[in-house]
Formats: sequence, structure tokens, C-alpha cells
Amino acid sequence: MGSYYDGLFSLCGFEHEEIEKERPRIEASFEKLGIGPGDMEAACSRVSRYHDVSLEGVRKLLGAWLKELIDLVLAREDGRKIVYFGFPAILGPGLMLCASSEHVFVSAPDMVLDHTMGQIFNKLGPILEAGEANGLPPGHALCSLWQAKIGGIAKGMIPVPDLALASSYYCDMGSKADDLVTALYGVPIAYIDGIMDSEWGEYPGYLPERVHYLGAQINKAMEKAEKVLGIKIAPDAWQRSRKNSQPFRDNLARLTEVMKADPVPVGLAELELLEALSGSSTGRGIQEGIKAMNILIHELEGRVEAGLGIMEKGAPRIMVRLGHTSDPAVTRLYEDAGLAVPLTYILASRGGVAVKPRGNYGTPGEIIAEYEMTGGYYHGTEAQIRLYEKAAELMKLDGFVAQYLYNCRPVATISHIQKKYLEEKTGLPVLSLEIDNFDSRAYSADSLRTKVETFAEMLRAKKGR
Amino acid sequence: MNALARLDSHLKSRLEDLSKAKEHGHKIIGYAAGGFLPEELVLACGAIPLCFIQAGDNAVLRNSAAYVCRWFDPFWRSQVGYLTSGKDPYYNIVDLIVVPITDNHVRAFSNAVGFYTPEMRSFVFGVPHVKDKVALEYYRKGIGRLRKELEDFTGAEITGSRLKQSIELCNRERELFRNISLMRKRRNVNVSGRDFVALHHGSFLADKEIMIDILEQFIKEADDDDPLFSGNAPRILFTGSTLARGDSKVMDILSDNGGIIVMEEFAEGIRPYRNMVQVEGDLIARLAEAYFMDRICPGWFRPGTERLDFLIELAEEYRASGVIWYQLLYRESYKVESYFFPGILRKRAGIPMLVLESEYDAMETGPMKTRIETFMETIRG
Repeated sequence: MGSYYDGLFSLCGFEHEEIEKERPRIEASFEKLGIGPGDMEAACSRVSRYHDVSLEGVRKLLGAWLKELIDLVLAREDGRKIVYFGFPAILGPGLMLCASSEHVFVSAPDMVLDHTMGQIFNKLGPILEAGEANGLPPGHALCSLWQAKIGGIAKGMIPVPDLALASSYYCDMGSKADDLVTALYGVPIAYIDGIMDSEWGEYPGYLPERVHYLGAQINKAMEKAEKVLGIKIAPDAWQRSRKNSQPFRDNLARLTEVMKADPVPVGLAELELLEALSGSSTGRGIQEGIKAMNILIHELEGRVEAGLGIMEKGAPRIMVRLGHTSDPAVTRLYEDAGLAVPLTYILASRGGVAVKPRGNYGTPGEIIAEYEMTGGYYHGTEAQIRLYEKAAELMKLDGFVAQYLYNCRPVATISHIQKKYLEEKTGLPVLSLEIDNFDSRAYSADSLRTKVETFAEMLRAKKGR
Repeated sequence: MNALARLDSHLKSRLEDLSKAKEHGHKIIGYAAGGFLPEELVLACGAIPLCFIQAGDNAVLRNSAAYVCRWFDPFWRSQVGYLTSGKDPYYNIVDLIVVPITDNHVRAFSNAVGFYTPEMRSFVFGVPHVKDKVALEYYRKGIGRLRKELEDFTGAEITGSRLKQSIELCNRERELFRNISLMRKRRNVNVSGRDFVALHHGSFLADKEIMIDILEQFIKEADDDDPLFSGNAPRILFTGSTLARGDSKVMDILSDNGGIIVMEEFAEGIRPYRNMVQVEGDLIARLAEAYFMDRICPGWFRPGTERLDFLIELAEEYRASGVIWYQLLYRESYKVESYFFPGILRKRAGIPMLVLESEYDAMETGPMKTRIETFMETIRG
């Protein structure tokens, strides 16, 4: 027999049999999340309005996020050992843990809450407020992803983890907020430390000791995870986890190719759904995501072949850092202003630029560390900006919206430099846009619209000349 | 002339002295605050170390807004402001800038040095955020690279004997700071927090041998003088991320309200002085042990428990009646700890904590005054 949520789940790509099979878990998780019949109309309307649900691949992607949410909320009841990591993260350690035991659940819960409680149900506000009331107050430019994570735990929506993997190689806030989780809930932490101490002009070079250090820290964290979780990480865990997740990366690369088309075949809100999934999930979400992407890319190739797209041909093409994780109204802003977004920084860093490690390292930690150092994300500010520079030619861009996240210090370091650098190196216009990509209460679509529309006008005028 | 007046007088002519030293071929090495650059290496190659420690002027923050967004610690934005505006003459006189990178706030400054002032020679090395053998080795390699950079830059070899001499000189300075600090364990305290901090700030700019002489004189004078504070004055442990030269607001208000700072614990602005550097064996390894491993970690280390435990020890050792936790806006490591530490402090040391926050804005003074006055009243009971 059907239930009040069947319509939403169908809209999000669930087959009838899947809903039936999942029903007890849907209901158990919805109870914890405080989702009821009254939320369905708004959720369906929101999904239809902001996502291209005419594409089966998009519907399946939304479904993958919902499955990840259900698995997250019920991980304790499922008898699994729970590990949380922060976003963005070096995904290798989490993938290795998953590849070593089916009883371990590894996830970035803040991203899952953002994409479901935020994007689908528009109910993230109270979760963020709970985070603010539990050690991460407003007005101090603290990370809103962390507010969601702490808030979700404080409200009993998501379980207290058994272990935190702290991304101490990127973000000071994340590791310190993990200390807060320890202070509040006694959760042990495995710190993966690294230092972004690049000299300006050093990238793509890097000191070998950076690989050794980050690699040793990853290995140490894995040893701690073995102890805390009572599991044994198999010697081939890294190879197996790479194999399991490789199709996702391959698909991101395929997608980059598809997005070179003019008009672009799909919008930023959809790109955001899939690129965020690859950085947030190590379990069912990513496996379901691979299936969804296969369908989506096939659909998009069909659109390209037919010359179809979501914008008119010739629309100015821009690159942004990423779409909004919890509020698709902000994500849609660029396309609403007439700008095509064929590439994001996240897509470029995960699927757009070939990674060619140079060394010969023996331990899984060092192999992972070298991938990350070569890729540039955790190398330093210059490496990040140069990825935009490379994309200009690759995607035939007309400009950049260089978002910087005001409450994410590693990203905020690029605030002014990236505009000056990119304008000088590429000759393209750059809109430097201050934003909170995880919480739109202060940085709403309306507050950003004037800037984006004006920039779009300018790009159109420039292109028309 | 008393010791502090001598320090003032020395600093007044310091820039002129430095110009002369440059004329005589001495290189001047400016470095970012935080206490992770062993000055011994600079001294051992005949160069002069200068720490960029000035801040507190809101106008300089406004200058920095053209180069970095607002959401960074105002001390580090100030450094960007000084770097790009030339308003701190010490920035204009240095030949090389060295940045030991600790957290992302320091990294923002390091980026500014590399990107906005490419004409200025600079060198960076990283400071890990955890303490273990691998982290110690990483730091050791960093200062090893710094040694080579300094040798290349100055053309002077850092020999074992010169390095040993420099370590002994810096150990003497640390020992004197420690002796002055210990005086404040007494019931009737004869060293004010403001004077102690002024000595620290001076030491980041002064000639090392003159500074040692001044510290010796200060100890003698303090021993001879009558106590400055009675045994009943509230004894405050003053802690936080950064205490810049030019940022005396909290200390002034506290002093006006009859409180006495008996101990300061700051990551930037107070020279780490509790541990001596050993002078046997591999001296680079000894420097790494003292500057990285033995030093109580700043708030951005993970976990931060070593520092928090140390604060409780200090509170007990110096019989503090309260803690003032002074953080700069947007320094997230300190902000997060300030949420859960008061409970731990109350439970383990039985004393209260006041959290104050600043962005170097004059408008903060009124509310800060009210809060400090109320806190002092609470302590007095």
C-alpha cells in the first residue's frame, strides 16, 4: 500500500519495488528527521522547480542522496560502526575503511543533510540553529557545514559517530570542531594532518617531504581507525577502493567532455548534485551515483547530438567554484541571469584535469598523498587558482564568477588574489563573489542577484561586440 | 635610566641602527609572529632577526581590505596592511621575509607576500598541527631548509660553534624572561603584566645583547622595588591567540580596575621562553625539539588539550583567580575552544573565565570595559 511520500520518492527516481523494499527504513528515518505528510507538497514542488527532473539521471541522483540520508540516519540501528569526515576531504581513507568492512559506514553527514534536508525539504534552518546553539555561534564566520553536522547530532537526527576522521590538512575549523565533538560527545578523532606551505610559484612542484608527511598521517589515522573500529584494513584496500570508485571519476571526466558543448546540455544544479556526491559518500550513495551518472551522461550525449541545451547557443560561458549545497535557488542564479556554467572548480579538480603522480611510493597513505599533491586541491592557493586558468581555454570560457566562501578560511584565502591573477593571465572578466555555499540565510539568491545580473549584462555586451 | 626607559630609548634609534648595520653588510631577516622561527639560525649567520609584531591600528586593517577579505584574524590582516602600505617601517627595512606557516590566517599573509610583493625575497616553511615523530621530522626539515636559505642569502656558513653561541645567547634571554615571570608567583607582585609584555614586544625588535642587558637590569630593579600590587588584587591569567605590540586595550582596562596579570599565554606576541635549547649533538635537531616538540602548542594544534591542560596548571601555579581569554575575531580555533573550556576550567581549577573578542576597533572599548569591570567584581565576590 502506498504512503504519503511515494510521490516524492518516484520523483527522485525510486522504482515502485524500491519504495516497497525501502519503506520501513524510509519511515524510521523520517521519524527521526521530523519529516511528515505536511512536507511533501513543498518538497515535490521544490524538486520540480529547481532540478531538471525530465532527465532520469537527475531523478536517480536525487534518489542516491535520499538513500545516503536513510543509511546515515539509521547507521546505528543497522549495527554499523560510524565514521564521519569533513568536506572537502581526501576521500581515500574513507574509501579504504569501506572496502575493508561492510559493517563500517563512512560519510560526510553535513553534506548529506544539506542535499536532502536543505535542497529537497527546505528544512535545514533549524538544524543550523541547533549547531549555532551548541558551540558554533553566528557572527563569527564559522563553517555552516559544521553547524549542520553539530546541529544534526544535537537534534538526534544523525547518530554520534564512533570515530571522526579530521581533515587537518586543509581546514583549521574542521579539526577544531572535531575537538568540539569530542568535548561534547567523547568521540575519538583520527587526525590526518598536512600543511599547505607552498611557496608562491611552486606549483606544480612540491617537496617530497609533504607527500611523506601527509602519507604517514593517513597511515597513522588508518591504524587508529583499525583500533577504534575493531577492523582490519586489508592490504589491497586502497586498490579495491580505487577500483570501486573509479567509474565515478571516469564519469566526471566524461561529463567534462559533454559540457564542452554549446549550448550546455545541463545546469549547474545537476552538476552540483553529482560532484558533491563524489566527495561526500563512500557507500551506497556513490554506487547509486555511478548508475545515475551513466544514465545521465547518456541522456546528455543525446541532447548534445540533437543540439539541445538548457541555455540558448552562444550564451556567455563562465566557471564557478561550486553550486550551493543546500539552496538550489542560489545555484540557479547564474543560469537565471543568462550565463551558461559548463564547469565548476570541483568538477575540474575531480574529473577535468588528468592526475599524473610522479613518484614511486610504497604505502597507501603516500600513494593517496601524492595524488592529492599533484591534483592541487590541497597543495595551496596558487594551485587552486591555476586550475581556473587552465579551464579558460579548455571550456572556451567568457569569464569567471570567482566565489569565495566567507566562512571557509582555506577558500577565503583566494578572495582577492584570484580575481587579479585570472584577469591578468586570461584577460577574461572576473566577478569576485562573496558567498556562503552551504547556508543561504545571509547570502540569499536575492542578495546576490544584482551582482550576478550586472556581470551577465557586461559579458553579453562584451561578447556582442 | 630604568630598564624600560632604556628599552624605549633603544627602540627609538633602532631603525637608524638597522640602517647602519645594513650599510655594513648585515642582512635583516623579517619574520612572521608565532614563535616558530629559531632566531638562533639568523644570528648564527651574522644577520639580524626582526619579528613583525605591530598591530592594533584599525586604519591599517582598512588598508588590507584591498588585498584580502575581511574574514581573517585582524592581526594577520594588519600584517597584510603593513606589508602593502609601508606603514610599518620595519617592513621596509628587511631584506628577506620568512613565514613559518601555522594556520590558514598565516597562509593568507604568506600568499600576500608571494603574490603582491614578488620583488621581496621570501621563504616559507610549514609547522605541523599535531605532535608526533613524523611531525617533528617535518619541522626539522623545514628549519633545515631555512638554514640553507639563510646561508645562501647571507653568504655566511652557519657553523656548529656559531650556532651554539647563538643558542646560548637566546637561552640567556629565555632564562631571564622565565625569571621575571616567576617573580609573579609571589603574593605581593612587583612586575606588572604591561611591563612584562612590553619587554617581550621590545625583544622582537631589539638587539639581542642589549635586550639581555635590559632584562638583567629589569630584574634587579624589580627586586629592589616595593611591590606594585597588594596581595588582594585579583590575579588574572591572560590568554589568547595574539597579543600585538599596539594592542594594549584589555591590559589597560584590567589595570585600571585593580587587576593584575600574573601570567600570559599567547601564541603570537609572547616569546616562548619556558624551555631551553640543549646545546649538545645535532643542534638543528635540538632547535626542532625545543621550538616544536617541547613548546606548549598554540590553539590551532590538534587536539588542543595540551594547551588547555597547561592553562589549568598555570592557573593553579600562579594562583589565578580568573582567566581572561582574549581572542581576535575570526580566529576559529580559539573561538571553538572558548565554548567548551570554561566548563573544564571551572571543574578542574574552580575559577571563572571571561571571553573577550576584538577586531581592533575603538568602539569595542566601552563594552569591554563593562564586561571586565563586572568580571572583576564577580571575582572579588
